[in-house]
Amino acid sequence: MHVVSLIPRTLIERKAGQIVDPVERLRYLQRRSVVLQPRVQAVPWKHRWKHRRLPALALALLLGCLLAPGYKASRIEPISLVPIKPVSIPVADVVAKVWLVDKSGDFETYSNGLRIDDRFIAPNQKRIFYPVYQRTEIDPDNPEWRSEPAGIVYHTTESDQARFTEEENARLKRIGKAVIGVVQQNHSYHFLIDRFGQVFRIVPETDVANHAGYSIWADDNILFVNLNSSFLGIAFETQTQRGDQPSANPAQVHAARILTEMLRNKYHIPQSNCVTHAQVSVNPDNMLVGYHTDWAGNFPFLAIGLNDNYAAPPPSIYAFGFDYDPVFVHATGVRLWQGLALAEDQMQTQAAARGITVSQYRAILKKKYKEILAALKRAATANDNSHET
Amino acid sequence: MTTVMKHSDKVNNSAVGLDVGTSRICLAQRVGEEYQYETQLNAFVTIPYSKMTENVLKKEKVPHTVKGAEIVVHGNESDRFADLLNVETRRTMDKGVLNPAEADSLAMLRKIVDSMLDPVKDRQKLCFTVPAAPLGAEDNLTYHEATLRQILNELGYEVKSINEGLAVVYSEMESSNYTGIGISCGGGLCNVCVAYLSVPVLSFSIPKAGDYIDTSAATITGERANRVRIAKEDSFHFNGFFADKLQQVLGVYYDEMIQSLVQGMKQAFANARNLPRSNRPLPIVLSGGTAMPEGFRDRFEKALIEAELPFAASEIRLAADPVHASAKGALVAALADA
Repeated sequence: MHVVSLIPRTLIERKAGQIVDPVERLRYLQRRSVVLQPRVQAVPWKHRWKHRRLPALALALLLGCLLAPGYKASRIEPISLVPIKPVSIPVADVVAKVWLVDKSGDFETYSNGLRIDDRFIAPNQKRIFYPVYQRTEIDPDNPEWRSEPAGIVYHTTESDQARFTEEENARLKRIGKAVIGVVQQNHSYHFLIDRFGQVFRIVPETDVANHAGYSIWADDNILFVNLNSSFLGIAFETQTQRGDQPSANPAQVHAARILTEMLRNKYHIPQSNCVTHAQVSVNPDNMLVGYHTDWAGNFPFLAIGLNDNYAAPPPSIYAFGFDYDPVFVHATGVRLWQGLALAEDQMQTQAAARGITVSQYRAILKKKYKEILAALKRAATANDNSHET
Repeated sequence: MTTVMKHSDKVNNSAVGLDVGTSRICLAQRVGEEYQYETQLNAFVTIPYSKMTENVLKKEKVPHTVKGAEIVVHGNESDRFADLLNVETRRTMDKGVLNPAEADSLAMLRKIVDSMLDPVKDRQKLCFTVPAAPLGAEDNLTYHEATLRQILNELGYEVKSINEGLAVVYSEMESSNYTGIGISCGGGLCNVCVAYLSVPVLSFSIPKAGDYIDTSAATITGERANRVRIAKEDSFHFNGFFADKLQQVLGVYYDEMIQSLVQGMKQAFANARNLPRSNRPLPIVLSGGTAMPEGFRDRFEKALIEAELPFAASEIRLAADPVHASAKGALVAALADA
């Protein structure tokens, strides 16, 4: 860079320099700006250093002296619960960094190898807000509001199954296509994993999918009721196998693993909020858990990179007093029984802490659930009416 | 980062500075000896109307307007909702001036400004920033400036405008008697102003700035420009290796923007006919959100030295508060006028 010349410090500058307040200094300089207007020059700037200083300096000094500055510088009471033990397993909840590598046409590719097919996407109602409840202070009429997906519910399509062999390829593809058509039409899930492990986005994550119906889950702090809005739904094209028989093939498990990884990364979803439909589904009519029993006992949590959440006590039982029947127990495996037993233990502890019987305590919890359902229905009705008007 | 003003604070009500940027609008006021700022995104997003959504927005005090079957969320919260709905925010301004492609630009700009300013009791002075004419392009600032003036006049303010680069000089160059080069690297434009003892002697703008980086990087990575902007503001820096593709791409476009700025300066200085002679090197101050990433100053300095501009720089520094510098400068100008 070159150094150019050449107007020296003027008296005005020196005077200005004595003014401490920046605004006053600016005022002073602006008042004297008439003498500071730059001369118009036709010579390129880089050559101007050759010019001599001008008589304007004398004028500026004179005016600076002449113009020397003359200044110096109504609601329902919340129902409190005894704090409940955290449901999440106390291990580091770390998920590998996953990012979008490419988005071209109808496909998205992610850094962990995930490829999402968007050809069958079916937008649904937008998820703007959904209500949640603090575990220790449930106020049905005064929920908190969230917007981001908070968890994942894993489903099975329970659709027809051809044998998974090369000879059945055409049939496998035909059934797969039909399944996509059905779930697309009903906005059933956010994602569908077909028999070949292909991942299809059905409902955008920004929208609500009709995947969980009456359902309940909780993490360490928050209770979620009716998870269509709050949780993302991932369905495996499969039928639930009883006992410990795998319901998903290795390609599907791999796809679910990398899809889960991506979603957990993108939406900061904790492991404890990755659960199966059977764990969250409830029936308010008979107050029993397990209205749906898909993935009731053999979901491959570990293979998908998650902790075994079957061991977590279902909040439907310990927070809202739901019960379970032999049909549900028959549908589940040993792993889910542990969670059921833990939930019962928690309820007994809480009932004892309040000095009431378990059945009395269960009645309080059930009442609270009914109040929440009623509040949700009122909100939905008001919402529907607002659309009509 | 943003110092939110509480209107209950004892504010010097004599003047207000308003930096009306493509990306953000920043309000500056003086409380005692302190400058305080409030910043809002100059953007909005529409979401489907429902009674529940409206109630929650009211409850959460999210600035919004119901418009037929839609709710318009404007200001800072628009980012969150755009991300949520996987859409781009809509912008009231583009490349430093009112967005001609956005039908609601005027109404939304009015809403955002209105939400930031208190009602005026007396004729309070307000100074707002305007961009300089783009280098080598036709000046189309008249409508923009007149419209802003009208909006602010209607709110009861006694309004004047200030060139954005000059506002940086007023904010940062008190020690050099407001002599030097103020550069504001914003969303839509980079504004440059050379001032001599508070008088602007050369000003121009360069159309490559933050938005250019965002949209270019978005095209390459397939991400939405809004997401790119958030990632850029959160984690981009010039020093070290880039972990992922987005950071690499941002680095490439940042370099291009800096080159464009430096070459623009070179061209403007070469063509200028009314620059004052000076025997002193000039200080250069960089400001604006786009100048924030770590290493930006060094990269700019390197490019400036390589370009061999016809003046010496006494220093090249980042503004003390880069995001608020233009608003502070506008406030200083308003106070000086009060």
